[in-house]
Amino acid sequence: MSRLRTRVRQLAVCYWLQIKILLISPFEGFLGVVFPLMFATATLMVYRLNGDADALQYAGLGAAVMGIWTSVTVSASSLLNRERWSGTLELLVAAPTPFSLVLIPITSAMATVGLYSVLATIVWNRVVFGVRLQIESWPLFVLGMLMATLTIALFGFLLSVTAIRYRTSWALGAALEYPGWLLCGFVVPLGLLPDALRPLSWALAPTWAVEAMRAAASGASPWADLAVCLALGLAYAALAAYLGVRLVDSARRNATLALT
Amino acid sequence: MTSARIFFVGGLMSFRAQFNWLNPWILIPSLMIEPVAQILLFAYIGRAAGVGDDRFYLIGNALNYAAIPCLFAMSSTISGERWGQTLGLVLVTPARRIPLFLGRSLPVIVTGWAVAVFGVAVGSLLLGVSVPAGAWPAIVLAVAITSLSCTGLGLAMGAVGLRIRDGATLGNLIFLALLIFCGTNVALQDMPGWMAAIGSWLPLSHGIEAARGLAAGDGLSAVQGLLLHELGIGALYAALGMAVLAWMERDSRRRATLERM
Amino acid sequence: MTAVVARDLTRTFRTHEGRFKRTRRDVAAVRGVSFTIEPGELFGLLGPNGAGKTTTIKMLITLLLPSSGSASVLGHDVVTDLREVRRRIGYVFGGDRGLYDRLSGLDNLRYFSELYGVPPREQRQRIGQLLEVVGLTGREGERVEGYSRGMRQRLHIARGLLHDPDVIFLDEPSIGIDPVGARELRATIAGLREQGKTVLLTTHYMFEADELCDRIAVIRDGRIVAEGTPAQLKGAVASGRVLEIETYGVPQHVVTALTGPDGVAGVRSASVVERGHLQVLGLQCDAESEVTQQVLARLGDVRVGRVSAREPTLEDAYVALVTDP
Repeated sequence: MSRLRTRVRQLAVCYWLQIKILLISPFEGFLGVVFPLMFATATLMVYRLNGDADALQYAGLGAAVMGIWTSVTVSASSLLNRERWSGTLELLVAAPTPFSLVLIPITSAMATVGLYSVLATIVWNRVVFGVRLQIESWPLFVLGMLMATLTIALFGFLLSVTAIRYRTSWALGAALEYPGWLLCGFVVPLGLLPDALRPLSWALAPTWAVEAMRAAASGASPWADLAVCLALGLAYAALAAYLGVRLVDSARRNATLALT
Repeated sequence: MTSARIFFVGGLMSFRAQFNWLNPWILIPSLMIEPVAQILLFAYIGRAAGVGDDRFYLIGNALNYAAIPCLFAMSSTISGERWGQTLGLVLVTPARRIPLFLGRSLPVIVTGWAVAVFGVAVGSLLLGVSVPAGAWPAIVLAVAITSLSCTGLGLAMGAVGLRIRDGATLGNLIFLALLIFCGTNVALQDMPGWMAAIGSWLPLSHGIEAARGLAAGDGLSAVQGLLLHELGIGALYAALGMAVLAWMERDSRRRATLERM
Repeated sequence: MTAVVARDLTRTFRTHEGRFKRTRRDVAAVRGVSFTIEPGELFGLLGPNGAGKTTTIKMLITLLLPSSGSASVLGHDVVTDLREVRRRIGYVFGGDRGLYDRLSGLDNLRYFSELYGVPPREQRQRIGQLLEVVGLTGREGERVEGYSRGMRQRLHIARGLLHDPDVIFLDEPSIGIDPVGARELRATIAGLREQGKTVLLTTHYMFEADELCDRIAVIRDGRIVAEGTPAQLKGAVASGRVLEIETYGVPQHVVTALTGPDGVAGVRSASVVERGHLQVLGLQCDAESEVTQQVLARLGDVRVGRVSAREPTLEDAYVALVTDP
């Protein structure tokens, strides 16, 4: 029992300290908020031309969480490279703590900081576009958002793990930013996308989280969606943990832990 | 040393310098996957909103994304170490500055152009957009002109970026401004007046309009006014950038800080 | 039980060159290194840049897999018994990397405490003690980005000792540190040995190795070329004396003519070190021979300054070992 407690404490302390690191540089966080915010703006500008209030609602709700996805895909994929540059990656690998438990608090901190952009986007959409989010059940809505945050963090964990072996995987990870917005149904109903892509959308946890949020907004039950979302998140974590061990081994074999 | 030689030799050297990350794992996602993703994103948004047609978003976003290499590659050329030495040389040699600058920016322009053309080609295949075959040469020309003018903005941005600490943030902000104000996804006439005014003073706006016209079947003569306008704006920013650089040269000579650049 | 055992460790790196025609090259950084370190020993690994010191250490601390050979730390194999090894070792490297700039010194230590399994109950006390030991008490609340290089290095050491490891690997810890700081650092390292810890130290600085190490292995081009106590090394390789002659403009051919078959009998090797506008000609000579007059005669018209003879130092031994033709 106390071993579990130690583990939980380790995750919590590392999470908290990583948030501290991220918050200390407001400038970096600035782009993390402004970039998805401007894409949300461009999106709503298009929707506004139509004059359809429902469509604006639809897009406004999804646009609110675009920032969490951005914050993780862009940061998580370059996370390990930044650790390499500051010389701490080797110290992290040489620690007795399993590498997965080292990474998870970091990507979770990133996702949490992404919540900032959610707030900023909701306020911005209200002020600039007059989009007033109609939410039937705020607690369930917030739960959906937190579930989105958690599962995106776990997806980020999966992304970051590849970088321990492949120094250039950050580019591939960052390139997932736009496709994620599209495939997870943030701003476009999934029905409009080609059927062939549907399984891809279903495999992405945020898709279900956004469904849950929309359900909560309209008063329907989000529980089924939340369950699938959580299951997918845990699957990412399991896959990442498994890959992590093999990739770290490969990194040790191919000497990619250090800079050179 | 003829101007032409400066133009081409200088250009070839900086190509290799700027692309020391000529790694396909970086180039393909950044310059091939992402632009197509942006095109598809807004094409579907347009369909969902029932506003505009696929071709509208295809052209707009392909050209908008191509501004990224123009902005960033140009400003990294400027802040590159070799450039600092070049700047010092320019002070001493009788070489004419304009061909030198053009030579340095040629690879950047070509990259931007290639990214845009790739985006339009692949995007049109994926979305099923038909572009009249005869329009392609003119479109390619329009894209080249737009790329040239974005590089002019890149020059100005790079010059300013030498003095401020965080050039990458500036680049991202400018890219976002181009996304919002230049008619990428909403035509200038559908925007509030003040936004359209800003957009018309930025590169990209006229180029996008011209390319859209060409893709819709208009002839080159119909859009040449727009293209000239685009060229003019690019030249304006390029001149601005060079003026800033010249000022900084004089300033750093006065303060003996040429290395700081 | 020995603390550290390395048996025929080898490590080859594969590098790719060229952009379009990727050619592969195999570089052998470590070629069959073997040594043992007894518990409580302070063992030095000396060698020039690129000799394979850092690569060897990284294999011992589980960051690199050996291409062949084996090693164990405190009885645990470094390839298979990862967690056991990691729990008992500390790793400190020189330079100013290895810390989170944006966090305070204290937060850095807290973070690594969690990762290295320091029991929560003991954390505060250990952190306080270590800050005291490395002389950073009072500065731990400041952000590391504001620390001087010496402070960073000291914090780095504190970090390496957090979980009270039995074996500590120090990779060039005093590089770039000012003399006063380096002296304090050496005192700290000596203190570790007093506590019964086993230490593997790599360093460039001969006097440091001489002062601190119980035993030294000299590594060159991935192979160990000598091993023993500092006294043994000095004795085995450079028994005799070192003659130092200050010269002004000695031509190279004169220097080379001093050794070899036509050289002066008793002179084993000659080297020249530039010092400003003069060159110091260093000659390693047999202990019994009296060579000064002959050498001066060979120097002929070359203007000569001070002439002195001294006992060989570890540095002389080292230079001889790593620059042998």
